[in-house]
Amino acid sequence: MKLIQIPVACFILSMFFVTDAHAMHISEGILPLNWAAFWLAVALPFVAYGLWKMKKMSSIDVSFKPLVGLMTAVVFIISCMPIPVPTAGTCSHPCATGISGILLGPAMSVLITSVALLIQALFLAHGGLSTWGADIVSMGVIGSFTGFLTFKAFRSFGAGIAAAGFMAGLFSDWATYLTTSVELASGISGDAPFFPLFSKIVIAFIPTQLPLGILEGAMTAGMLRLLYNKRPDLLVKMRVLRPEEAI
Amino acid sequence: MEIFSEYIRKDHLLSQVDARIKLIVAFSVLMMVLSYKGLAFPIMVTLFCLLLCAKMKVPLRLFILRFSEPMFIAGVVLLLKVFFSGEEVLFSLDISGFRLSAHRDGLADGLLIAGRIIGSVSIMAVLGFSTHFTEFIAGLSWFRCPKGFIEIMMFAYRYIFVLLEDAMVIYGAQKNRLGYSNIKRGLNSFGTLAGSLTLKAFEHSQNTATAMVQRGYDGSMPMLKHKAFETAEIIGSVLLIAAMGFIWKI
Repeated sequence: MKLIQIPVACFILSMFFVTDAHAMHISEGILPLNWAAFWLAVALPFVAYGLWKMKKMSSIDVSFKPLVGLMTAVVFIISCMPIPVPTAGTCSHPCATGISGILLGPAMSVLITSVALLIQALFLAHGGLSTWGADIVSMGVIGSFTGFLTFKAFRSFGAGIAAAGFMAGLFSDWATYLTTSVELASGISGDAPFFPLFSKIVIAFIPTQLPLGILEGAMTAGMLRLLYNKRPDLLVKMRVLRPEEAI
Repeated sequence: MEIFSEYIRKDHLLSQVDARIKLIVAFSVLMMVLSYKGLAFPIMVTLFCLLLCAKMKVPLRLFILRFSEPMFIAGVVLLLKVFFSGEEVLFSLDISGFRLSAHRDGLADGLLIAGRIIGSVSIMAVLGFSTHFTEFIAGLSWFRCPKGFIEIMMFAYRYIFVLLEDAMVIYGAQKNRLGYSNIKRGLNSFGTLAGSLTLKAFEHSQNTATAMVQRGYDGSMPMLKHKAFETAEIIGSVLLIAAMGFIWKI
């Protein structure tokens, strides 16, 4: 038995510390059919609301649809960018749903995420078609709403735009990670109890996701700071800033 | 971005098949893989899909890149199930005083999920490697996917490559100026890069809207027209689904 200990231990360590980690996307096929259908049913009303809102907005401003499409491309690119996570020695990727929630609102952000996820699932094997609903719920719905609400809450307490952006990025990332853990644990626990497996999944991804949340927070703050310095008028147009704050 | 399926050649037999047929077949087989309670069917589907990928001459590097993430996740799930789920002990490990037990029933469950992942990813790989984005979009519109959703997909797909090129230019400039020499500077640089992309997205969207309006854009885009289904393709797909269904059932 001693002989198999070394390779098995090496394999376990290599799984967690060598390969790039893509913990935010639930891979194709992980969830059984019933859970895949459940999460899709949860996600679809949010996507439908996003579509309805986009139709309404684009009837007022003809450039709104191209803007949503381009923001989708931005979210797609950012969520494909590998970022080194020093504590884990791996690369992971930010979600960028917090910032899209802040800039275009959570409803639009859910739509943006759903489109980006579908393209990633079909052409990059990043996420999946069967796990599309679960990924929309964790990254789109929870990530966007948490980012948006956190930003609004911190701004109402008088926090600066960068500080509020940092907290929004941080919490949206961590909320996404926790929701992904819930989805994974519920999908793969089978007949076993939910909570022991859930806690192990949360612990397994802590080395990657905790620092990644901080990185996502810093990224969100950096983006907002740049927009504030270069184009405060855009932030006013998107109701991120009040007109008097942009001067 | 080199792993994007669009980059591989698409002059093989499967690329000639109607995207709607491919979508129906892929979706049906995917449902079978997800609902199957064993390992044999996903393995068979995986082998069949690998054979198709080989026939399509998918470059090995692209193939490995495409499967690396799902394989990694399948491995993590397998380990989680083996070591943290189940009751019947298979063997135990002693790692620096920490006792870890592998379970036979956990291994069976883990293999089932890993098989499901690899089977499903293989199906999606064949679909992605054999279908152009525009055909896929046309297929989705035939399935009554909301028009707004399809339009956003088209805009996004068009601008992914434009923005990616911008991102590479900015990243190269930042790197040359030691923008990623330590963690703090790296974070600042990444935030600036992401912010610049957002700014470019705004500028492009304004320019795109102006150009489109000048060409008669009224808020909705025309979709590809569908050709009629070919009888041979329908019969072929029905036979394939029936054969898969038969194997799935036994």
